[in-house]
Amino acid sequence: MVLSLENIAIYRDKRLLLKVNARVEKGQVLTIMGPSGAGKSTLLQAIAGQLQSPFSLTGDIKINDVAITGIDAHLRKVGIMFQDALLFEHMTVGENIAFAMPASRKETKQARNNAINKLLAAVELEGVARRAVNTLSGGQQARVSLIRTLASQPQVVLLDEPFSKLDLALRSQIRSWTFDQLKSRGIPAVLVTHDKDDALAAGGEVIELLLC
Amino acid sequence: MFAQTTLITRWCLLLLLCIPVLAGLVGVVFPALGYFPAIGANTFSTAVFIALFSLDDVWQMIWLSLFTGLGSTLVAIAGAFFILATFYQSAMLGKIQGILSPFLVFPHAAAAIALLFAFSPSGLFARIAAYASDVSLPSSGGGVFPYDAFGISVLFALSLKELPFIILMALSVMSQPLMQKKLTGFAKVGTTLGYSPVACFFKLVVPAIFAQIKLPILAVLVFATSNVEIPLILGPNNPSTLAVAIMHWFNHIDLSMRLLASSAAVVQIAVSAVALLLFLGIECITKHIGKRSLVSGKRQFVDGAVQMFGVAIIAFYVILISAVVYIVLTYSVATQWPFPALFPDGLTLLHWETAVGALAAPLMNTVLLGVGVSTSSLILVLFTLESEQLRPASTYAAKAFTLSVFFPLLVPGVAFLYGLVWFQQLVLQSAVWFHTYIAHMVYVVPYVFLSMAVAYRKFDNRYAMVAQSMGKTPWQVFFQVKLPSMLYSIVVAWALGLAISFSQYLPTLLASGGTIPTVTTEAVASASGSSTRLTAVFVIIQAVLPLIGFVIAWCVPAIVVKTRGKSAPALKDKSRKGVLHGA
Repeated sequence: MVLSLENIAIYRDKRLLLKVNARVEKGQVLTIMGPSGAGKSTLLQAIAGQLQSPFSLTGDIKINDVAITGIDAHLRKVGIMFQDALLFEHMTVGENIAFAMPASRKETKQARNNAINKLLAAVELEGVARRAVNTLSGGQQARVSLIRTLASQPQVVLLDEPFSKLDLALRSQIRSWTFDQLKSRGIPAVLVTHDKDDALAAGGEVIELLLC
Repeated sequence: MFAQTTLITRWCLLLLLCIPVLAGLVGVVFPALGYFPAIGANTFSTAVFIALFSLDDVWQMIWLSLFTGLGSTLVAIAGAFFILATFYQSAMLGKIQGILSPFLVFPHAAAAIALLFAFSPSGLFARIAAYASDVSLPSSGGGVFPYDAFGISVLFALSLKELPFIILMALSVMSQPLMQKKLTGFAKVGTTLGYSPVACFFKLVVPAIFAQIKLPILAVLVFATSNVEIPLILGPNNPSTLAVAIMHWFNHIDLSMRLLASSAAVVQIAVSAVALLLFLGIECITKHIGKRSLVSGKRQFVDGAVQMFGVAIIAFYVILISAVVYIVLTYSVATQWPFPALFPDGLTLLHWETAVGALAAPLMNTVLLGVGVSTSSLILVLFTLESEQLRPASTYAAKAFTLSVFFPLLVPGVAFLYGLVWFQQLVLQSAVWFHTYIAHMVYVVPYVFLSMAVAYRKFDNRYAMVAQSMGKTPWQVFFQVKLPSMLYSIVVAWALGLAISFSQYLPTLLASGGTIPTVTTEAVASASGSSTRLTAVFVIIQAVLPLIGFVIAWCVPAIVVKTRGKSAPALKDKSRKGVLHGA
């Protein structure tokens, strides 16, 4: 899977906000840095198909060289993660993950539960599937949020400062979990961050947005 | 598809709010100009207005409406701000909200009757005073309360009823996440600059929130200048306020009085408009003076007096509520209760048996109407709010929309409801339930909208983004993520809608032509006659009905959460303490 951003320009009320041209190969992470107000999160919303007025977009966003620019957000297969875990509080941990998994008629309930447990085991969270999400610690929630995103089988993942609320010890651990998982599945990712360490750990191209 | 559905709903909601009001206005303007074919008046003229203004009392009526309406609103705002200034940083705020909330859902008619019980010359406070001073006969009504010619008792009752509404509106603005953050910051900076908490409230918090509570306050003002129940039950009779006179003229057996009533309804609109202009003028002057006091550098804001008033008003509410609860409950089971005695001679369940027999059908009507109206307005409102989020309108359009949601609240009900009835009789004469339903919707939808809009603004839209990025369609995001997350707010809005529908007097009476009696119409009817004890039972039922709605609202999320077998995330909001912590 490859994500390409071809001659992307985002406008705010017809005034140019930013321009980007980039190609993210499978398993690679493109890092976007820049001051507040430069449009980092707006760029992610544009890729996810959730750009709202007064912003507008020109250029082409392509996944595997197929343009997705005109497709509705929920059909794009672009996963997004924020600095908060944003687990749905009216569902259990397991239900959160099941909610994200693509619907399938053939699969039995047992198979689905097995898949959920396997995902949880991958981030060392066996046996929490039946728990309420607000009984988990911040670090556990961050990990559930990660596997929930992966469970939806995205073709691209967008990371909007996902580590900035974690304390230092947790941060590097969750960061390596995240990048390892993305790499092993060959998913291209775009990371927005203020933190130089994040950019170093991501190990990919870094684009610095400027205020214009 | 989903976006279109919600957009269509939004237009339905707009039309539902505006068409009845506009039709109603047309329906009173024509007769006011002398055009009323039903009684053979076919020509336009200003004769009716001339007749109206040649009445002796008309200016006194206008003055009464203006005085009680504007006066009560100003008193209520002052009182609300005193209370907020005293308690806005305190953990007591939640309790105060709890004390005042029942007043909000207590129907106006019931509140007026309850005040009558407490303050009339033979009421509870008079009894207590008589005990102290050894008097054995009630005074013959020389006092201020009730029915005084100046309308003081009406003003007093209206402000008691409006104050909780203004406080709750202000609190809902202050607790919006962004606003809360901003205000906490303001209060912190103010405190470090040496301003007292009260001064911080008036100099920093009020300017920041006033723009957002202005529209609800204007709605309160219009309501107060044109309310019928309270002046009808507590106000002077000769002359009465304009709204009460309009109602009497419209209901007069002589149909030609309708012309007079219609012209008075047009004048009523003018009166409410004048009240609005006066209010805006006062706001301007206050702002101007306020600006000066801002730069004066004074660190206090008559702190002692404000806090004294704040505490005193709350204490007064507590005493009043206890007194009302005592006297209404006791009256409802009393046999004989001669004047200065604090307890009745004996107890009986007779009044309850009579009332239950008489109220079975009205109760059924009340509940049917309430559930239908509240549920359908909730559905309309939810889809409308969703459409706003899917396709945010330009700021100009959004403002116009908010204004039109308030439209039915900004036009005096007594003015347009009669015209609406006239139209309804032209179109579908026998669809009484439908007409009553529409008349209720006009009043319920705005409140449900206000209540839900707060929750919608609080909802973190990133949840919706996350769900969408997992491939969920907008329908799924709406039904599986948003609605369950807002369950508590939704059932509260539903209960509020029920309460508003239960309390409607004029819309029910007029739209149904009196053929659908409800608990409220029966209570008002009984207040002006029959037995005090029976009226007490009606008041209790009126007070309990909306509470049942809120109890359901409180139970539903708890039950849903219980079946999930987990802790109760949806109820988190309930334990909110002071709006601004640590300031």
